[in-house]
Amino acid sequence: MSTTVIAAGTWVRGSIQGEGDVTVAGRVDGEIEVAGDVTLDGTALVKGNVSGARIVVRGAVAGDLSGTSAVLLEDGARVVGDVRAPSLGVGDGALVRGRIETSDAAGSRPSASHAQRPAARPAAAPAKAAPPPRPAPRVEPPKAAAPHAPPKPAAAPAPPAPKPPPPVVPAMKKGAKAALKKRVAG
Amino acid sequence: MATTILSAGITIEGELTSDDDIEIAGTVRGKISCKDAITIASGAVVEAELTASKVALAGAVTGNVVAEDRVDIQVGGRLIGDVRAARLTIADGASFKGNVDMDV
Repeated sequence: MSTTVIAAGTWVRGSIQGEGDVTVAGRVDGEIEVAGDVTLDGTALVKGNVSGARIVVRGAVAGDLSGTSAVLLEDGARVVGDVRAPSLGVGDGALVRGRIETSDAAGSRPSASHAQRPAARPAAAPAKAAPPPRPAPRVEPPKAAAPHAPPKPAAAPAPPAPKPPPPVVPAMKKGAKAALKKRVAG
Repeated sequence: MATTILSAGITIEGELTSDDDIEIAGTVRGKISCKDAITIASGAVVEAELTASKVALAGAVTGNVVAEDRVDIQVGGRLIGDVRAARLTIADGASFKGNVDMDV
């Protein structure tokens, strides 16, 4: 059966399913679920779960990878999500953030791993959100130390304004920056 | 440039946007926008709105077709839907049901 190709410059918003091999060099926002092999080229950007027989990744994926035969993460791969396959290869230059399982029985408990992850993520978020309250106590001591200068408290409330900005920087961007630097260097 | 190819046995549900050619031999449900040519092979099943520069179809299409340049319904092709294009050809043996708007 011939290979399905999602070329660079092509954007699929929806699911790709069926039999046969799939090569992605463009962008897919949705699930890829095929019986054949899946190749994600260096220019590929996939937001969604990918499942196939043998999955070769050289591009960016935000989603879980599940290979019934193997998953190979090669140079340039940026994966944020869980990886499950009986056989796994992570090459030099591949970036992964997520759980990795390499047992044959892995496929029998995907629901368990999904149940654990939502719990893990909210736990991580408060930890990152905690630092912002600290600047407030720091601001207070100056108020007490310099009660004679009323304009200063007016200036002091200004610093808390930058509090909202510390948003959680998406992990993909970190990886993307590293990949860009590598490309520039190489 | 590179052509996007959907082989037989593959189903895409959703929206497909491309700057280059698209060749479809599988199944697509949703919407397809292409700046170049869309070729729908015999055996393909497309239930989608098509927007492209050129559309050549030999498979089954249900949905409206808008082409800047031309629409060719080839032998074995089957189109149910309205066509809006500057040029249109319907081959002997093709089937078509719908309205045609050729900007007259």
